[in-house]
Amino acid sequence: MTKTAMRYTNWGLSMLVGIGIFLFWYLAYPHALSYQEQYQLFLWTWDYFLERISLPGGLADWLGEFIVQFYYLEWLGALLLALLFATLQRLTAKLLPNGFWCLFSLVPPAMLLWLMGDINVLLSLPVAIVLSLALCSIRMPKQLSIADIIIVPIAYWLIGPAVWIYVILRSLQWGWWRKEESGKRKEEGGMWMAKGYRLLVIGYLLFVQLATYAWLLPQWPLQMAMTGLNYYRIPLHYPQLKGYDKDMYELIRLDYLVRQERWDEIVHRAAAYQVHTPLWSNCVNLALAEKRLLADRMFDFYQSGEDALIIPRTRDLTSMLPSAEAFWRLGMVNSAQRYMFDTQEAILNARSSGRCTKRIAECMIVNGHYKTATKQTALLRKSLFYRCWAEEAERLMKDESKINAHPVYGRLRQLRYKDSFLYNYEEIDKMLGLLFQNNPQNKMALDYFMAQMLLKGNMQGFVEYMGWVQQYGGYRQMPLGYQDVMRCIQARGNVAGSPYAKYVKRMMERRNQP
Amino acid sequence: MKHVGYIAGLLLLTAVIGLIAYSGSKLCIVHCALCISSKVDRLPDIYPDYIGVTIPADIAPLNFNVGDESIAQVDVVVRGSKGGELHAYGDYADFDINGWHQLTRQNRDGKLTFTVCVEKDSKWTQYKDFDIYVSDAALDDWGLTYRRIKPGYEVGGNIGIYQRDIHSFDEYAILTETVVPGRCFNCHTANRTNPNRIMLQMRGEGGGTMIQKDGRQVWLETKTDSTHAAGSYSYWHPQGDYVAMAVNSVHQSFFTGTKQRIEVYHTFSDIEVLDTRSNQLLLSPLLRTDDLEIFPAFSADGKYIYYSTSKPCRVPAEHEKVKCSLCRIAFDAAKGQFGETVDTLLNGPATDKSYVLARPSYDGRWLMYCQSSRSNFPIAQNDADLWLMDLNTGACRELTEVNSNESDSFHNWSENSRWFVFSSKREDGMYTKLYLATIDERGRVSKPFLLPQRHPRKFYREMMDAYNCPDFTKTKVNLDAHEAYRQVFDNRRKAVRIKN
Repeated sequence: MTKTAMRYTNWGLSMLVGIGIFLFWYLAYPHALSYQEQYQLFLWTWDYFLERISLPGGLADWLGEFIVQFYYLEWLGALLLALLFATLQRLTAKLLPNGFWCLFSLVPPAMLLWLMGDINVLLSLPVAIVLSLALCSIRMPKQLSIADIIIVPIAYWLIGPAVWIYVILRSLQWGWWRKEESGKRKEEGGMWMAKGYRLLVIGYLLFVQLATYAWLLPQWPLQMAMTGLNYYRIPLHYPQLKGYDKDMYELIRLDYLVRQERWDEIVHRAAAYQVHTPLWSNCVNLALAEKRLLADRMFDFYQSGEDALIIPRTRDLTSMLPSAEAFWRLGMVNSAQRYMFDTQEAILNARSSGRCTKRIAECMIVNGHYKTATKQTALLRKSLFYRCWAEEAERLMKDESKINAHPVYGRLRQLRYKDSFLYNYEEIDKMLGLLFQNNPQNKMALDYFMAQMLLKGNMQGFVEYMGWVQQYGGYRQMPLGYQDVMRCIQARGNVAGSPYAKYVKRMMERRNQP
Repeated sequence: MKHVGYIAGLLLLTAVIGLIAYSGSKLCIVHCALCISSKVDRLPDIYPDYIGVTIPADIAPLNFNVGDESIAQVDVVVRGSKGGELHAYGDYADFDINGWHQLTRQNRDGKLTFTVCVEKDSKWTQYKDFDIYVSDAALDDWGLTYRRIKPGYEVGGNIGIYQRDIHSFDEYAILTETVVPGRCFNCHTANRTNPNRIMLQMRGEGGGTMIQKDGRQVWLETKTDSTHAAGSYSYWHPQGDYVAMAVNSVHQSFFTGTKQRIEVYHTFSDIEVLDTRSNQLLLSPLLRTDDLEIFPAFSADGKYIYYSTSKPCRVPAEHEKVKCSLCRIAFDAAKGQFGETVDTLLNGPATDKSYVLARPSYDGRWLMYCQSSRSNFPIAQNDADLWLMDLNTGACRELTEVNSNESDSFHNWSENSRWFVFSSKREDGMYTKLYLATIDERGRVSKPFLLPQRHPRKFYREMMDAYNCPDFTKTKVNLDAHEAYRQVFDNRRKAVRIKN
């Protein structure tokens, strides 16, 4: 292959990678970008940079988070990822011999893409790999290999244990293999000195890592000091090579659609594919309620059980989000704040969440807790994509009448509980009933109240409160779902093809399971 | 000659610039004094509110910001009643640490007068001078220990136990979530501020009770078949061999209203004493009743255990019925035995109050406690206030000098019992911060001051953690966090036995 042809092939491969990666993220997995973005809050401050850079791998971490903030705009996030992957391909190609070997430059981007199917892989890992390869690609005369004494610890501190890629590739370049002018590799049998030196560098990196652990990382386990503090979201765990799990990414997509309030799309997707988890039910029911279809169609879809509307507290960073969104829209502002707060605290790499922080601030504004709300907005003001909202919120907080007149905050002030009592998940149906009694205009609370009784199998309560539906529900005729339930009640569950009868049967089977 | 003139001019200019740089602060005083547009007869609005507080000599500088964030500059001159002067000029009052220490030492038992001038819209305004008093009582402890945690709900995120040098702004981690991911820990307790005896409780998977004596960690399983839970809310006996602990199950519920967020309650609670020499638990039927005995603390001489107790009720539904009495029971350290009667010092149900967190001063003179309308967990109660009992007379009084409209709780004494630290939500009702105050021989208490920070407004605004369980520490705490990690993940615990 001529040099020109080689150059065009390389550029062609880079374009292929770039365009492929862009389309992959932008068209197929935009929700994955939103997922990553919502579990960090990149701040444009010197302090934030110093905080990141104060740990090994800090620069890669900072750069990774820098890029992830742009996922807020999906096209921009996909574009930046495309550039990153194309860079990875080009750097790999640069290290490979000429000829058909360049096709192998597609392998690392493909492997990395597969690895990123694990949602807990942080972008700092691809960034660190790219930085390590970039370091390798810097042409350095072999006589200067002594410079590794300086380069290795600095590189370890900036990009973390991914520096092993640099050390090993350099060893291959300089120590064991020699690149002949013809491009043919052959082992250099007599270069024992060079081999010994490279082994020394490998030992040196090991020493640097151990010394860092012993003296500079008193609050980190050895395992993480050796394998990376900030490549993976869950401490002491490692990426799973499972690719893109369909059900998990469907759940992530539904939460993403909830965040974007794309209710029709949720209902449409739910009809096509169901994931049998409470999170899925929470998202679908919320969308149905927003479209005022909950009473009609709820049991046309999978219902996970009593937790299908609102999930009890769960210690993970995703499950509670749809319930928090439901609480917020219902007017259960304190519960929305609590679920958002606990979700944020469940982010195991201790990052703040832009999405959660914003909602927490909103809850505080509705509750009139302006001092604490200002603390949240002060944080958001230092970000790029939440800044405008934070500034607007701060202006709003200076004028109580504007909050009362605000279409969302003012309305929520009308919907929230007037009395203070203790929240009890075990009696969530009663809480929803009280919420509705508190303000009969709150039709969503009425729908949730009736739906929760049905999920619990409380037929007596359902019949008892049908009067509320007739009086306040705003339905021209009894919703189809309720008609089905009434038929089930009258026929003691023996209604062929009844969605509610199926649900009750499934629940009874579940209860009877040993 | 022309060049010589240029050079001379350049040198002169350099000299002037150098002079300005060298004596910048002094020139600023002149500048401020010359440019004063107006003097106002009111005190400056500063954050934190340090006006009229009493501080120990050698404390970290009480840097402060002007309340109005739109000011251009602030110029502060501090003059000591016994001599000395210090100057700060800039966006906020940022005092030189060495100069501040020298000034406070020089003015022990005296006062510092602050002259504050503020530049705004190119006009300087001088405010009325205010004073800060330097106590004659030393604060000899090295610093403070505390836990930092987001003021959340049921998920504890990136929590950590830290220590802070109170003579500077330096903070050091003792144990953080990063080294023991996913674990919840608290109840770090030193023996009368001396960290050669520390106890720490870790909850959940891999949990246990860590006792560190003279630098050696021992991890125990303090839960037994008959005590139902591991020990927490601990307190060392002054001799350093025994630790009193509460054994309980703590829960939280959440309000729907806007005033109070959380109600913390216990479904059961007993008190036991751990003999750290033999790893034996000492039990008394009087401290293991159906009532909820909680928050034990040994008296200064070690002859009594103070604690709170409340009648059992159906929590959380009956959370308003939790009223704690303050009691004490004798303890014989030589025999490892409890007394056979309980003295009720303050009766909760009779007075419709709840008295918790008894903390006797180490000199045996005072007993500080929390009073609220209900609950055995005062930090969640908005009306929790600090009260003081004179142990010579039994007289009690509210510490109005330090209390606020929000929760004021969790207090501890300095080693010489002349200072105390407590946590308060007074600023915003949510993010607990630490305040220090002094008490004299007659029980007079000074206005408390917020724990100083280098840039207080920036620091406290950006601090998203709440401080809790503060205590003084005589010296810097040394705890091997790597060893703690190994112990936690090895999950091998020494079992304790119940002493017959």
